[in-house]
Amino acid sequence: MVTARDFAGRDVLTVGDFRRDELLFLLDAADKFEQVTGTLLAGRVVAALFFEPSTRTRLSFESAVGRLGGSCIGFAEAGISSTAKGETLADTVRVVQGYCDLLLLRHPKEGTARLAAEFADVPVVNCGDGAHQHPTQTFVDLYTIRRECGRVDGLHIVFAGDLRYGRAVHSLVHVLTQFKAHVTLVSPPFLRLPQEQLRALDETGVEYREMTDLEAAVPEADILYMTRVQQERFTDPAEYLKFRDAYTLDLEILKRARQQVVILHPLPRVTEIATEVDAHPHAAYFRQAHYGVAVRKALIALLLGKAEKIL
Amino acid sequence: MAKPTQQVAKLKEGTVLDHLRAGTGLRCLRVINLPPGTTVTIGINLSSKRLERKDIVKIERYELSEAEAAKIALISPDATLSIIRDYKVVGKHGLHPPIAFRGLLKCTNPACIVHTERVPGAFVVESREPLAVRCDYCERSIPADQFVFA
Repeated sequence: MVTARDFAGRDVLTVGDFRRDELLFLLDAADKFEQVTGTLLAGRVVAALFFEPSTRTRLSFESAVGRLGGSCIGFAEAGISSTAKGETLADTVRVVQGYCDLLLLRHPKEGTARLAAEFADVPVVNCGDGAHQHPTQTFVDLYTIRRECGRVDGLHIVFAGDLRYGRAVHSLVHVLTQFKAHVTLVSPPFLRLPQEQLRALDETGVEYREMTDLEAAVPEADILYMTRVQQERFTDPAEYLKFRDAYTLDLEILKRARQQVVILHPLPRVTEIATEVDAHPHAAYFRQAHYGVAVRKALIALLLGKAEKIL
Repeated sequence: MAKPTQQVAKLKEGTVLDHLRAGTGLRCLRVINLPPGTTVTIGINLSSKRLERKDIVKIERYELSEAEAAKIALISPDATLSIIRDYKVVGKHGLHPPIAFRGLLKCTNPACIVHTERVPGAFVVESREPLAVRCDYCERSIPADQFVFA
């Protein structure tokens, strides 16, 4: 049986480090923490080292920490840290971990969080490492799915857009292998889900199919998970523009969807969801972003060993 | 008429790498840091009861380091290493890939953090047959034919 002690002092590096029962425990904890404010984290410091831009992840963590009475330090871009002077990430982590009780890390290179965890005595939370993973986004996605659909198991989830570089997709697809999901992957051929991810789906027996036509995939979806074609992953601007507009969800396409379909997006969106969709009753992507605070409150409290009072 | 035989000359002192997978002998030599002037005898595609075809490498007056032996194990799992002194085998053991290891290889993912930080790679053997490893940091799988040795 999972307890809060299973999380205390732990790193959050990849979703693969978490079992199904631990994920469900976290979702239950997020429910309990949603309305919690106070001084649970009084005197605790969370350091945010963001070497790449972030709005939702960084601000929702800062909000979560602040609402529980803790404080945040850190930086939001690489240019203002000592890495601009040539300091290694390992040295930065060795120093900053002495200033904090927990370290949040976002970095453009893959595997960064695991490297940081080797040099930190405090918990390290991977807030996105290149195109690799974004585990707390997955926790938020799972929580949103359960809030909006009432369950996580056995749903048909259609992922559309940039599946090759989308770390949020990689993390969520990995986790769905534990929740009996049916998966449809819709992307241009160049932006397919990487072979490693497809192999993991094959090995765990998850039913999936790959398509290029969004409209054809929509009718079967319980959840439409749209993703942005990421300009920063392309070295050739012309190639980026070619693929950016490949998949746009609008009200016309949604006419083909189930009435209860839930629309998610890790944000930021560019053109992949038309603004006319925002008023759709099941356009949940802004609620998805807001749920991030509840999930991150629960997660930080658990990692710092402060959650038992609430749970 | 005597049956023709294929034979690699006996070694007085040094190391014999036997039961190398056919065609891997030269690749094995490349990962050994031999002093200039070392005498090496190599047999390629020799017949073998165990493997049907095999390579053999005999190196005079040289004993492999642990790291070199581990690299050979990654190129040709289940090869045999023998230490020879005065024409006699004084030590012999199989070379098997470790379950997990540091160094030896370079991660082939250009986006992996190991390329910008001064740390050795860390790997886990993901599959033994066919051999493949996974970078512990970026989790990229690397099949044996794409190994780049450190």
